[in-house]
Amino acid sequence: MFTEAFMIRAFLAALFLCPLCALLGVFVTARRMSFFSETIAHGALTGVAIGIWMGMTELTIPVIGFGLLVAMAIIWLKENTELMTDTIMALLLAGSISLGIFILSLVKGGYLGQVHSYLFGDILAVEDRDVVVSGILFAVVAVSVFMNLNVLTLISAHEDLAHVCGVNVRRVNYLFVLALTVTVAVSIQLLGIMLVTSLVVIPPAAARNVSCNLRQQIVYSLLIGVIGGLGGIALSYHFNAPCGATIAMSCISLFLLTLVIRLFTRKRNANQPLLPS
Amino acid sequence: MTCECHSHNPDPGPVPAIEVSGLKVSFGGQPVLKGVNMKVPKGSVVALIGPNGSGKTTLLRCLLGLQEPAQGQVKIFGESNLQRVMPRIGYVPQKLALERSFILSVREFLSLRLSQSRNWFWHSRKWSDDALRSTMAEIGVEPLLDRPIAALSGGQLQRVLIAFSLLKAPDLLLLDEPTAGVDSPGEDTFYDLITKVHKHHGMTVVLVSHDLSMVYRHASWVYALNGTICCEGSPEEVMNAESLKQAYGIHVSPYQHHHHVH
Repeated sequence: MFTEAFMIRAFLAALFLCPLCALLGVFVTARRMSFFSETIAHGALTGVAIGIWMGMTELTIPVIGFGLLVAMAIIWLKENTELMTDTIMALLLAGSISLGIFILSLVKGGYLGQVHSYLFGDILAVEDRDVVVSGILFAVVAVSVFMNLNVLTLISAHEDLAHVCGVNVRRVNYLFVLALTVTVAVSIQLLGIMLVTSLVVIPPAAARNVSCNLRQQIVYSLLIGVIGGLGGIALSYHFNAPCGATIAMSCISLFLLTLVIRLFTRKRNANQPLLPS
Repeated sequence: MTCECHSHNPDPGPVPAIEVSGLKVSFGGQPVLKGVNMKVPKGSVVALIGPNGSGKTTLLRCLLGLQEPAQGQVKIFGESNLQRVMPRIGYVPQKLALERSFILSVREFLSLRLSQSRNWFWHSRKWSDDALRSTMAEIGVEPLLDRPIAALSGGQLQRVLIAFSLLKAPDLLLLDEPTAGVDSPGEDTFYDLITKVHKHHGMTVVLVSHDLSMVYRHASWVYALNGTICCEGSPEEVMNAESLKQAYGIHVSPYQHHHHVH
């Protein structure tokens, strides 16, 4: 498994992208933004369609570009209309998928393989350049998150309180959305449009089961992201299955394991529930 | 609304803690604040009361620089650039709308206020214990330190939020509906704590509330808001003002709740 170059590339990309998604996921779930990353991911289909339609060989750029466009549209509609956030997301999700399908219908054949690999994730699609991009993205985003952990935590707790504490809430929110959008867009190659959000949501949810504070949740989420990601790649190789599905499945297995641990430890500490009923 | 009970405000001194002049805010063409004027003297404990929809929250947001007024000015400690005075303000919000999946502990939350430059993630327990010790003792949050914030009761959360705001020794403490969701004995304990904190630190305290009864025991001066400051004075004067009864409707009877006046 480790002698083949494409597997080493896939493992390296997973080693960078999975913990990154899991780290951002702690704040995404805390801020009820899961559906936000789902919408950006589905917007990527239009990015893929535009890229194929225009005959581009490198689709990461249109995927990131359209992802950012969808993210900006969500923020603009939130700030300038009375619509509820979930309505806005559903609107853009339907809009971008329909646009993507429409554009694909204009293309004359030969694109199904590419679309399939973007929809479900493909370890064979990861190239050297993707590994480098993942590595740089990991370094930049992870370092930025850890350097601004106070600010991110405070905003997740209460935006107005963060403002009074001197945080430029608007700027941090925009930067967080930018980081999330680019991370999701880059991760799509490995995880696929359909399941990329699983790596943003499941590791922090699993970590929550076995954590007593935020520090533990961050550490466990990173660990679960790495183990789930690498395990998923190995399963994908073994069963010749799309790696988006195998990574999501291994993350869900870890979630179930932490759930069992939680139920077991809670039973033993019945008098000290983690949360009130 | 006519002013019927404007008493002589204690001299706010050369530079009042809060000075609001001609403040107007509208939402969708609907005026919410219609020209608010107030001067809060330094070191006082004042209450800002008003029924729902009277503009309390909007005024509070203006004081915190979260809402741009259409007209008028807010000065805090003589400074109209509110961003500059933010470090001197302690803000106690109503609640933290934390997701249950976000397991921020009290210790981690308080550590956020200890120093923006240092990152709470790398703090040791001992470091945070040392840094938080005096505030913990004063507010009595020590037993709560390792509990998740989302698991606290209303009263416990209020204590933690006060401890958070006191860590930077503010000159002005703004409390938004501080006892909403706190039971009656908890309410008394809470206001006793505010009184103690005020005595100890001598900062200016502004309590924003729709609860008329609480002003009796804890505020030295009351502003009643209903689009404008319709009435201000000592708690006794404000409670008996006809305009206040109009603002709240005819069923106002604060005496039912408390029998003694400080």
